[in-house]
Amino acid sequence: MIVSFVKYIVIIIVALVLQKTFVWLISISRYNITPDLVILAVIYGGLRKGHIGGAILGFIAGLALDILSGGFLGLSALSYSITGFIAGYFFTEDDDDEKKSILTGMVFLCVFIGLSIYYLVYYQSPGNIMPDIFIKYVLPTTTYTTIIGLIFILFLKSKRRSAYG
Amino acid sequence: MKSIGLFLVRIKDYLVLTFLVIASLVMIFSNDNIQLGYFRAIAIGFIGTVQSGVSAVPNVFELEKENKYLREKNIQLSNDLASLKEAKLENIRLTKLLTLKDKNISGVVSARIINKSLIQTRNTITLNVGENDSVKINMPVITDDGLVGRIVGTSKNYSIAQILYNKDLKISVKTQRSRIDGILTFDGFGNIIVTNVPKAADVIVGDLMVTSEYSNLFPQGIPIGVVSESGNLDNLFRKIVVRPVVNFNILEEVFVLKFNQSKEKIELEKVFKAK
Repeated sequence: MIVSFVKYIVIIIVALVLQKTFVWLISISRYNITPDLVILAVIYGGLRKGHIGGAILGFIAGLALDILSGGFLGLSALSYSITGFIAGYFFTEDDDDEKKSILTGMVFLCVFIGLSIYYLVYYQSPGNIMPDIFIKYVLPTTTYTTIIGLIFILFLKSKRRSAYG
Repeated sequence: MKSIGLFLVRIKDYLVLTFLVIASLVMIFSNDNIQLGYFRAIAIGFIGTVQSGVSAVPNVFELEKENKYLREKNIQLSNDLASLKEAKLENIRLTKLLTLKDKNISGVVSARIINKSLIQTRNTITLNVGENDSVKINMPVITDDGLVGRIVGTSKNYSIAQILYNKDLKISVKTQRSRIDGILTFDGFGNIIVTNVPKAADVIVGDLMVTSEYSNLFPQGIPIGVVSESGNLDNLFRKIVVRPVVNFNILEEVFVLKFNQSKEKIELEKVFKAK
């Protein structure tokens, strides 16, 4: 069980390093939209390891991100745990069963829920109105992250197709 | 007991999630934990090292943004600089004008030109001073450089002055060096000329023309212009062209002199002419 987790832990570490170092290369700084690569790694883990695997990977990734970001400790852990758990609902062992459109929709849903939890807690104050939080932060980041996720999906699919001939 | 065990196995996913959520919430509510702070410091140090290495890679998007900001800042600073230069030049001009006061030229009204024509044969300037400022018709208009013209019309708050480039303005002048008299006027074709100067008169290029004491309109000795051309007009008179010392193209502020004409002198001349 633990050994099978190592691959996903490595993926999460790579995602964390990319998120903290190179993500500005693909961020839209004018509108403060930054894709969340770590949440994509968590979703991938949930998709492959199910509810428990996804939740634990999400917790670890979120906790690491909280520590590195210096923000609310536990907030990313909470939102990513739930995201990984939800991704587990789409758990399947047969890669070929997954259709791109379903995967994209699933990624969007998971990212949306995860980021909604994060931003609603993070920006909770009397001055902030919920629709504003969704319009300014949740939806743009979710959309952009999903687009990046779709690129990964296409990349993995084409790689797998070429591997099987 | 077995059924409870089976139930727990069935809901183990949710139990794990519940445990993780509770753990997360506990962390959220105990954010100031010292041990966590120490661990956080180490992690941030590690990522900081990686980031400092990565920072060598130029951020094209940020550079573009920074470039744009610097360009905007540059324009803003250029505008500020232009305003400061303008203020400095105005300061110099006004200081020079104030120097006139120091020279005991009494009864001076400072004025700003609010309209100006330079391309007609009867060119004038409009000033932002009028009868309320004690400005009257025929008062001389000058700058620190020299004579500009004379007031020909006034209202409560505004006045109009003929300038040297006006065919209707004729001024009695003389050369400062050789004291040769003449009548200065605008020929209507861009030149200010001095007429009635005898062919044998000692007038050379570079001579300064000033107002003459014969004038009833202007005080004596105000600089008007420098002789730029001096030749023969015909067998009797010289052709003298004068370049004004006042640059009318950049003229913005002037002084109106409250010059008191000698009424006795004017009356006497009138009586003599009538005879």
